[in-house]
Amino acid sequence: MAGIWVYSEDVALVKQLLTIGREVAGTLNKPVAALTLSEADAADLAAETVYVLKGQNPWPESYVQAIADLAAKEAPDVIFVGATPRGKDLAAKLASILKAGLVTEAFKVSVENGAIETERMMYGGLAVCTEILQGLSLVTIPPRQYEPAAAGKGNVVTIDAATDVPVSVSNVCPIIREGADLASAEKVICVGRGLGKEDDLKIARDLAAAVGGEVGCTRSIAEDYHWLPAETYIGLSGVKVKPVLYLSMGVSGQVQHVAGIRDSKIIVGIDMNENALIFEAADYGIVGDLYDVVPALTEAIKQAK
Amino acid sequence: MANIVVCYKWVLDEQDIKVNPGNLALDTSRAKSKISDYDRNAIEEAVLLNEKDGHKVTGLTFGVAGAKQSLKDALSRGPAEAVWVNDPVAAEADAFVTANVLAGALKKVGNYDVIICGEGAADTYAQQVGPRLAAVLGIPAITFVNQMSIEGDKVVATRKLGDCTETVTASFPVVVTVLPEINKPRIPSLKQVLGASKKPVTEIKLADLGLNPDDLKRKTTVKSLKGYAMTRKNVIYKDGSTAEKVAKLVAELAKEGAL
Repeated sequence: MAGIWVYSEDVALVKQLLTIGREVAGTLNKPVAALTLSEADAADLAAETVYVLKGQNPWPESYVQAIADLAAKEAPDVIFVGATPRGKDLAAKLASILKAGLVTEAFKVSVENGAIETERMMYGGLAVCTEILQGLSLVTIPPRQYEPAAAGKGNVVTIDAATDVPVSVSNVCPIIREGADLASAEKVICVGRGLGKEDDLKIARDLAAAVGGEVGCTRSIAEDYHWLPAETYIGLSGVKVKPVLYLSMGVSGQVQHVAGIRDSKIIVGIDMNENALIFEAADYGIVGDLYDVVPALTEAIKQAK
Repeated sequence: MANIVVCYKWVLDEQDIKVNPGNLALDTSRAKSKISDYDRNAIEEAVLLNEKDGHKVTGLTFGVAGAKQSLKDALSRGPAEAVWVNDPVAAEADAFVTANVLAGALKKVGNYDVIICGEGAADTYAQQVGPRLAAVLGIPAITFVNQMSIEGDKVVATRKLGDCTETVTASFPVVVTVLPEINKPRIPSLKQVLGASKKPVTEIKLADLGLNPDDLKRKTTVKSLKGYAMTRKNVIYKDGSTAEKVAKLVAELAKEGAL
């Protein structure tokens, strides 16, 4: 079946991809197909066709050849893939097998003059590259970029998938997180190198407690200083946050960091250096010593509540 | 002993790129180049594996004429030799083209057991070349790796995948892409910098790789490349006492419904 395909190993993401998939399909007057690895979730996906890939291997990456074979046969116009790490791995291999183009982590997908266009970041978030897709193409799309599509009912087609891969996978274990998931936090307090020592993380945690948020950090705090786990650094190669409030202390605001916070509703920066780049990216800012400003802010917020 | 090939990209330093505030055009005229930050982690990992078990490490890059400067820099970081595919096509190449070229170069060079790439390039961060390269070569790729070792003729690597980790084992040859957290690249010493110019470099012309013209044509059309305009309120409190500045901020945040 030609048309717009969506795939993710995570069915929640399949539903989000269906929102943009249906929008693009509507404009181009094409059908939509969803690909899923889960038979149980196939029944309520809002696509004309739902392909359930059924194989012996629990490792999602092992389905790439089966998806490639199906795509070679059915010739979709575009495949939207959820940009989880597993999704990005599969999309790159799939694009290579199909000799197709692939746009990584598009933050916008639209149809212009009958062609699909995408926008994505370049140079660490400094620039935006707009591309026009040609021929069979793939696009990976980050989680939570679109609301999930309403449930629907499609024609479910089960595909027997060969899933032999020349690797063995073991020790699959969840990462133990110290805090809640930063990526979905409503309030994020971020610490940068303006913080003098590890013990001073307390003032960030106190502020986080006062606003009811989570503490994240810049890459150097996690990777050079190891004050916080690598899972908590925010930026292009780290977590991308989209809170109602992002408030940073002692963060200079390098472009790669700002790339991870730009979907925040309100951005606040607190830093000594009035020329810090963070103020260019901020809605509000205070120029001052974070050791004075942050405790005073914590108290003021407690009283305001 | 394994033949380790570490791939790297010579990219513009984004810190030197200026955005024209009027038309958002990018001014790269004063931008210097560098080895892509994430590829420095790849080079360091190859060198660490060599220091531990004794392997042969070769650097491999596909770049325009200007990438010649990168060779000494790369070699000062520890590889024994370098291979450079020199062609202007590199300037417009996407991951499809780059993977085809690197695969062609690897086949020409011959011996490769472990190919290490950074998780993404510092300019495009497309995160595609490693897994695409593996698919072109028909070998496994282990991506998002934060720990790896070579055991006999196998690579054992730990992947970090957002909500979980897993251990993947694959026999040679194999592509591994590494996360920046895997190591901290060293700054080359003066001795290493001086020694780098004595190390062998092989320059390959694209025409010698026997690729067909379709393999060298990028897949998408770039319509525009412009600076990202961050439109924010930019209300910055500079003057007054801490208490005054904090009071103003809290009042605004309350109004925004952000508290």
